[in-house]
Amino acid sequence: MRVTIGGLAAALAVLALAGTAWAHGPTRQKVRESIEINAPPAKVWAVIGTFHDMSWLPPVSRTEGEKGNEIGATRRLTLATGATVDEELYKYDAEKMSYSYRITAVDVKVLPVTNYSSTLTVSPSADGKGTLVEWAGAFYRGYPLNDPPPELNDEAAVKAVGGLYQMGLEALKKKTESGS
Amino acid sequence: MRAVVFALALAGIGAARAEEAFVTNQLSDDLTVVDLATSKPQATIAIGGKPAGVAVSRDGRFAYVTSPDSKSVSVVDAVARQVVGRIEVGGGPLGIAVAPDGATIYVADWYAATIRVIDAKAQLITASIAVGASPSGLAVTPDGKLLLSADRDDDSVSVVETATRERRATIKVGARPFGVTIDAEGRRAYTANVGSNDVSVIDIAEAREIGRVKVGLRPYAVALARGRGFVTDQYDGTVSVFDLGSLAPVKRITVGDYPEGIMATADAQRIVVANWESNTLSIIDTDRLEVVGEVKVGDGPRAFGAFLRR
Repeated sequence: MRVTIGGLAAALAVLALAGTAWAHGPTRQKVRESIEINAPPAKVWAVIGTFHDMSWLPPVSRTEGEKGNEIGATRRLTLATGATVDEELYKYDAEKMSYSYRITAVDVKVLPVTNYSSTLTVSPSADGKGTLVEWAGAFYRGYPLNDPPPELNDEAAVKAVGGLYQMGLEALKKKTESGS
Repeated sequence: MRAVVFALALAGIGAARAEEAFVTNQLSDDLTVVDLATSKPQATIAIGGKPAGVAVSRDGRFAYVTSPDSKSVSVVDAVARQVVGRIEVGGGPLGIAVAPDGATIYVADWYAATIRVIDAKAQLITASIAVGASPSGLAVTPDGKLLLSADRDDDSVSVVETATRERRATIKVGARPFGVTIDAEGRRAYTANVGSNDVSVIDIAEAREIGRVKVGLRPYAVALARGRGFVTDQYDGTVSVFDLGSLAPVKRITVGDYPEGIMATADAQRIVVANWESNTLSIIDTDRLEVVGEVKVGDGPRAFGAFLRR
């Protein structure tokens, strides 16, 4: 019974804070994943270098955006489930084949994080024959208050983002190595 | 005789300790001590509980470290490089400051809109002070009379009289002030406003904001040296430099990724920056306004507070 009341209180607290997207936990988390792709960097960059097109990421069923690759450009990802993720570009360097963006709106049930920012970087692989893609994220857990429930704690956030990056990079590898 | 006195004086100078950085590595759960003369890590001290805030006492004997996950403050003997005490404070301890005389420690509870007052000798909480929402950075004036708290989610700074432990004023600043820094004269304070990407300049005696400086994305904290302000821009990976007199921008210096804690050395010749994503310290020369050194530290360095032992 106490657990139920505690859980309810936690849910209400999250609801009360839903409007304050700025609130966050005490520890920012890091995830960094990378993959080697047997294709030239330019070819990989051609697939991911357009900010408003994130169709290469499997759960994304629709992607739309404004202002292209300008700083401040926005995009909305619609997932297969119907959920949406709003993001904004804050760094873009075509020469270095790198850009950074942040999530401006997402439900923690979709991705259990807050204050999320992320950088994608394409570079030649160490042997010079292929491409290294790195995806780095910085974010706080989904639960902004003290004593988070397990599904919204630091570990859950890291697991969700790590899983997303791995899946995304695998899909990117498949797409760019298949020659299409 | 004169030669002997001179030799003794020299020995005294030689004995003056080198400056050190006490860097909280939140993700590796420890503290790296870096010798700033040689730019070499000297020790790694296990802390636990995801350490974030740090304050070194003015006499250099202790470093106090907040651990929000274990809801405690660790007392580190700065000379012996050992944890010599653990104070259970509850809540979400984050920002921390020590009074100039070293007798009192102030800890901001991120969740409770409260500052805990700790007797340093007894290592016990002796009082609590109500402030605004999500108190973050704390700073005490050089005379020890006032404590400033950046109350992030109220967009304001609380001014607390330390003798009575009462809030005397609330100063509206930019959006989401995080770090707060007071100048050596105790005249002005500067907050890094994460939400409005600027720095608020506060006249402490008048208890009001007197200026605003545009900086980079998501500023974290401010350091002061030689008439200039140095601000860590987390999302830009830069330090914004501005003139403290005219408040005009001077330069943007590229440092590591997600720079956070920042502080000037005692001689004001260098600025030390903790780069959360890069796991390094960047050392900026204040003459050249360039990065002149880099030091590897632990994972996720935050160094939020007065982290230099100088």
